[in-house]
Amino acid sequence: MSQGPTPLLSLSGVSKRYGGVVANSGIDLAVTAGSIHAILGENGAGKSTLMKLIYGVETPDDGVIAWKGQPVRLSSPAAARRLGIGMVFQHFSLFETLTVVQNMALVVPGAQAALAARIRALGDEFGLSVDPAALVHSLSVGERQRVEIIRCLLLDPELLILDEPTSVLPPQSVVKLFETLRRLQVKGMAILFISHKLEEIKELCDTATILRLGRVTGRLDPRNHSAKELATLMIGREMPAVVRAAPLGLGEVRLELAGVGYANDDPFGVSLSDVSLAVHSGEIVGIAGISGNGQQELAALISGEIAQGAAPGAIRLLGQAVGDMGVAARRRLGFAFVPEERLGRGAVPEMSLADNVLLTAHGRGLVHRGFISRQAERAFTADCIARFDVRTPGPETEAGALSGGNLQKFIMGREVMLEPAMLLVSQPTWGVDIGAATDIRQRLVAMRNQGVAILVISEEIDELFQICDTLHVLYKGRLSAALPTASITVNEVGAHMIGAGQPAGAVP
Amino acid sequence: MRLTLVRRERASRLAMFAAPVVALVLSALASLILFAALGKPAEQALYSLLLEPFLSWYNFSEVLLKAAPLMLIAQGLAVGFRANVFNIGAEGQLIIGAIAATALPVWYPAGTSVWMLPAMIAMGALGGMAWAGVAALLKTRFNANEILVTLMLTLIATQVLNYLLLGPWKDPHGFNFPQTVPFPAAAMLPVLLPGTRVNISLIGALIASVLAYVMMRHRFSGFQLLVSGLAPRAASYAGFSERRGIWVSLLVGGMAAGLAGACEVAGPLGQLQRSVTTGYGYAAIIVAYLGGLNPLGIVASALLMSVLYIGGDNAMVSADLPVAGVAVFQGLLLVFYLASLTFIRNRVVLIRRPGAAR
Amino acid sequence: MKNNLNRRSFLRTSLAAGTALALPVPAFAADVLNIVLIVPSPAADVGWSHTLELGTKALEAEYGDKVKVSLLENIAEGPDADRIMNKTVADGNTFLILGSFGYMNGGLKLAAAHPEVSILHASGYQTAANFSPFGARYYQGTYLMGMAAASLTKSKKLGCVGAFPIPELITSINAWTLGAQSVDPSIEVSVVWVNSWFDPAAEQNAAKALLAQGCDVIFSNAQDTPSVVTACEAAGAYVFNLNSSMATYAPTKYLGVVGTDWAPYFKASVAAHLAGTFKGASAWLGIADNCVFLADWSKDIPADMAAKIADAQGKIASGAFSPFTGPITDQADAVHVAAGVTLGDDDILSMDWHVKGVTTPLPK
Repeated sequence: MSQGPTPLLSLSGVSKRYGGVVANSGIDLAVTAGSIHAILGENGAGKSTLMKLIYGVETPDDGVIAWKGQPVRLSSPAAARRLGIGMVFQHFSLFETLTVVQNMALVVPGAQAALAARIRALGDEFGLSVDPAALVHSLSVGERQRVEIIRCLLLDPELLILDEPTSVLPPQSVVKLFETLRRLQVKGMAILFISHKLEEIKELCDTATILRLGRVTGRLDPRNHSAKELATLMIGREMPAVVRAAPLGLGEVRLELAGVGYANDDPFGVSLSDVSLAVHSGEIVGIAGISGNGQQELAALISGEIAQGAAPGAIRLLGQAVGDMGVAARRRLGFAFVPEERLGRGAVPEMSLADNVLLTAHGRGLVHRGFISRQAERAFTADCIARFDVRTPGPETEAGALSGGNLQKFIMGREVMLEPAMLLVSQPTWGVDIGAATDIRQRLVAMRNQGVAILVISEEIDELFQICDTLHVLYKGRLSAALPTASITVNEVGAHMIGAGQPAGAVP
Repeated sequence: MRLTLVRRERASRLAMFAAPVVALVLSALASLILFAALGKPAEQALYSLLLEPFLSWYNFSEVLLKAAPLMLIAQGLAVGFRANVFNIGAEGQLIIGAIAATALPVWYPAGTSVWMLPAMIAMGALGGMAWAGVAALLKTRFNANEILVTLMLTLIATQVLNYLLLGPWKDPHGFNFPQTVPFPAAAMLPVLLPGTRVNISLIGALIASVLAYVMMRHRFSGFQLLVSGLAPRAASYAGFSERRGIWVSLLVGGMAAGLAGACEVAGPLGQLQRSVTTGYGYAAIIVAYLGGLNPLGIVASALLMSVLYIGGDNAMVSADLPVAGVAVFQGLLLVFYLASLTFIRNRVVLIRRPGAAR
Repeated sequence: MKNNLNRRSFLRTSLAAGTALALPVPAFAADVLNIVLIVPSPAADVGWSHTLELGTKALEAEYGDKVKVSLLENIAEGPDADRIMNKTVADGNTFLILGSFGYMNGGLKLAAAHPEVSILHASGYQTAANFSPFGARYYQGTYLMGMAAASLTKSKKLGCVGAFPIPELITSINAWTLGAQSVDPSIEVSVVWVNSWFDPAAEQNAAKALLAQGCDVIFSNAQDTPSVVTACEAAGAYVFNLNSSMATYAPTKYLGVVGTDWAPYFKASVAAHLAGTFKGASAWLGIADNCVFLADWSKDIPADMAAKIADAQGKIASGAFSPFTGPITDQADAVHVAAGVTLGDDDILSMDWHVKGVTTPLPK
């Protein structure tokens, strides 16, 4: 623990319970100025609750939170902000129809022109370049994150909390973000950095507090420990390595896109042109690229949520031309899909997990003659919760009450239990911690080994390299040619992701 | 120090039950002051409004009579509302249902067939469905806003009613008054409670409530509608047809309103006349939301609205309350109720001055 | 009154605590006659409902605190009205005045169930032992208005805004037409039906349509609002209406009013009720009954015409002349009433045809 100067923020014996669930128990934590402090932990370990307590979203049941040595009561985020605590959430809270500077003006007093000047100045100082006049919906995820960080910085915080900030960024942007954080550190700012990417933590942070099951299980300097040691402290056991089976002989083609184009009506959406790919039985194909380059449109075209209509090209799914087929019909062919948005698309937040199972698993004996079989529904849900290690009180819990990683495990489990012949997974481990992410990747590989055809759309290059047989990169609506993972490097893929690679998918 | 609202982890059941009670008490207090300020006998007015409907068998039977159509229509509308399909033209669907049902007694004014009444009920249901179906067609084909379409179709329905009553369907012995022939006995709903005007449509409304409950709680089709309402993108992801949801929502609502129309002409009216509906189609929207779009809640809210109507009329008669006074009370109740609904998902937190501990 | 005692004690225990307001209980003493007037439109300062209200005011003036009159306005015809009528009787009212045709069926049922109650019903056609339909012979007055209109029209085109095409209103239009033709046989009358007793916007639009067609004298037939009258004043066309004077709404162009005074009839009926001699009978009251009267004549009417009108009014009052005296030709050019024949009350009460000169076909 830091000795000497009074820590900027200190927690002692802080506990928080939700009903019978202990989310945080006797947490001690000290964050000093000028330190980048990592908070590590699995899903359900209590990281989010801890951040909510520090940021004033929740109040602790027990224990003391002190700011510069004085006990404080943080009853709201506004109170936390007034003390000098800023937070960048994993899910951004920006108004999409407003410009950057208008979004800022909602929380920061002052004329917009002056604000725009400050935004530019901060951008120059900390490497956070963003156009103040741009509408938020036109910004990439990386840019939005910069906007969120700038919005915090405008309030001159002394402590900045970042929740999984790198999970949405391409490798090149991660480097830039770290530069920014280091510059802030030099200015004396304290940073709480929540991440599950152990290598990043080792690279960036000078202190790490590790949580497991709501308790602190380790306090250390990550620079002096191996990633394996950190992981062991975090998940309580040795990190299972993803079993990468030997390449299989390719089976039949289960998904084939030939020259598919899509003209987006939405002026801020992405249009696709001439996208071709093939996914075989027993193969995992990955699509790399920064979000907002056509991933959503591509996934929706394959799932049937966007009707292909008169758009060019052909989509064949499990041996059938599916251009005119609806979502339900495609699913009946043996297609399953895990979307990138879990709340509101992959799951209905206000409904119980059991009802959320019904969403796509209704064909598996959960509905008899139009009546929902509550028993079958609950059994399926309980099975899913057990097999996929979803941390939740039970099938009746509302989906919205689950943490992001747990919900992902649930949705993943639901779709896997449908025993699909062709599985499309979009951002399988977005915001999911390392233990859960490893688990999900292992399951994908296991399915592949059983002959399932899998298409994975992900922003995490490491993940794709870990599990995929073949990679494509999607950039501005164009898909690169297939790149065998065995013979390319991360940097080559990274180059494609920012448009520096050869657009191999160009029209011949 | 100040008060602020904080979202609850999950909906409070206590608040759910307390909300209507609190609303009732607050609106009673507010109107007590208002009526007293108007120089009207305030306690007499509240007594008439809230208690008298329960204190005599006759009054209570009238509550039941009026609750039946409100309940029936609200159950039908709630199905659509939960799927975010906003059919606010139940008034028009009711009128068309009443017209369709009236066709038979107009064509067979001396009919005695036992099939007359069932046929009228069926025609009423079909009439309401057809009228709502127009909105469904325009919505699914041309993406025409169903709120506007159903509302405008109500205006058209009123004109159709006027045309028939002033023209081809006018009672030849009615001295040109705009009404049809009185229905023969075979075209009238049997009275359920002897000595009152309550007919078997009350049973129908209760059956509809049970069916709505079963549909929304136990049927997969109801589940699909709920998903479309709560998370349209999840519905699309799961492959639930949006078109189907729109059609089902509007047809169910139209059917309920059409049935209610048929039951009005074959019940207390006994003929088709211009006052076939006194705003049931609109009141049912309030009933549906007052009942939390929950089939059981709607049974309760239909009774409550009916009490307010009967009580309101009573207050006019007994407490000399002006029509507007009754409307103000009903409005107050709704405002207070909607306000207290906030506390089901939110709680009040007292915030001490931040930084006071510094 | 047991009912009221219950109510009183209940209120004491439930509501009175904490309130200093005195408990109001209607004074239903046995020697007070409780009278209810139910009207379909909002009570206004003019029009049909207003004249009925004036009639009940006359009762209060006559009987003082021996009667208590309650006015229930804006009561929609249909099941609600039926329930409200029942409620008034349950509350101890024993004399009901139903101000609209649409209350007939409910009123008849109520009369049958409560023989002790006496009911007067406006413009209906059904009678029972304790149920009397009543109406005014407006046609007697509109005939005279026709003469006046004929003396002032330049376009020879008259217009009428009508509520509903029912016999009462049809006879008024026919008599008006006949009165005008008695002066100038070439005069024609156009009619617009608004199908409402109370719809100011529709009435005003109808008036404007007639004015646009060149009609320069307008008959506001059975409207409870002055909207037609104000529209005519603004357009510079003469206008008259029924029931109560709207002269203040048309200071320069008001032709006059065919007024109704229900006080004599109401007084007589209440007297009969109190004496226990009330007997349901149709009461169709005209000039001779002091029910229909004419007032607020326009000063623009030539003196000789005024004299002729006064003369005709005297003959109608004495029974020497009826407006519906043959020969009368109908719209189809057929002789509907032969020369020398005078239509009886039954024929007038069920009139469903227009006389020649009314150019608008009657809605069938």
